[in-house]
Amino acid sequence: MTTISPVSPPVRPAIASDEALRIARLEAEKAYRDLSEFRVTVVLEADGWHVDYELKNPNLNGGGPHFVIDPSDGRIVWKRYDQ
Amino acid sequence: MPPTRPPTAAELTQDAGVGQALEQAWQDSLPSNHAPRHEEGGWIYMDLVSGALSIRRAVSGGESLIDLTSPPMVAGAVVVGKFHTHPNPKIEGWHTGPSPGDRHVDALHGVPDLIRAEDGIHFSGPGSRRGGLAGGPGYPP
Repeated sequence: MTTISPVSPPVRPAIASDEALRIARLEAEKAYRDLSEFRVTVVLEADGWHVDYELKNPNLNGGGPHFVIDPSDGRIVWKRYDQ
Repeated sequence: MPPTRPPTAAELTQDAGVGQALEQAWQDSLPSNHAPRHEEGGWIYMDLVSGALSIRRAVSGGESLIDLTSPPMVAGAVVVGKFHTHPNPKIEGWHTGPSPGDRHVDALHGVPDLIRAEDGIHFSGPGSRRGGLAGGPGYPP
């Protein structure tokens, strides 16, 4: 006889992507005077929300801010400011 | 005696003129003040007859970016290096070394990039001009 185990529903993070973006933006704005030159991406990885600002023009020298945000409480657990 | 090879990144940093240009760019970056702080930079040329190095400055950049895509042509010379500043300090959370974007662009451009930051000079790109002194003015093909 085959036993079928119930499938657990996916666990939603307490912090949604839009909130992760907001947390990252507010933090980034403390350091970067202007974020308009960047494209931002947000991806939920195993270690949290990865929010990355990359230059829209890939031919320029430079860089933007990068964050990893805890999806359970919104803490910034890692960040790097590229230039 | 005409040069037979381009200078290495280490040789570029040892040149007095290049060093002066790096320091001037650093000062022009206004690193001490967050509000006007910005990147500065330019290109290093080698005369194909005399081997003399010369500098051309680029238009001022933004807080964390600079456009070094189009070195002006210098008659009888080729681009053997580029440079720019990272004026934003570690104490404010900034990474002083080359960004992934820097590494990508510098690999494309094919010449060493000397990056002046608060903790010294960082290097990005190849150790010397890709393909030697051939390939015409501007960045190497």
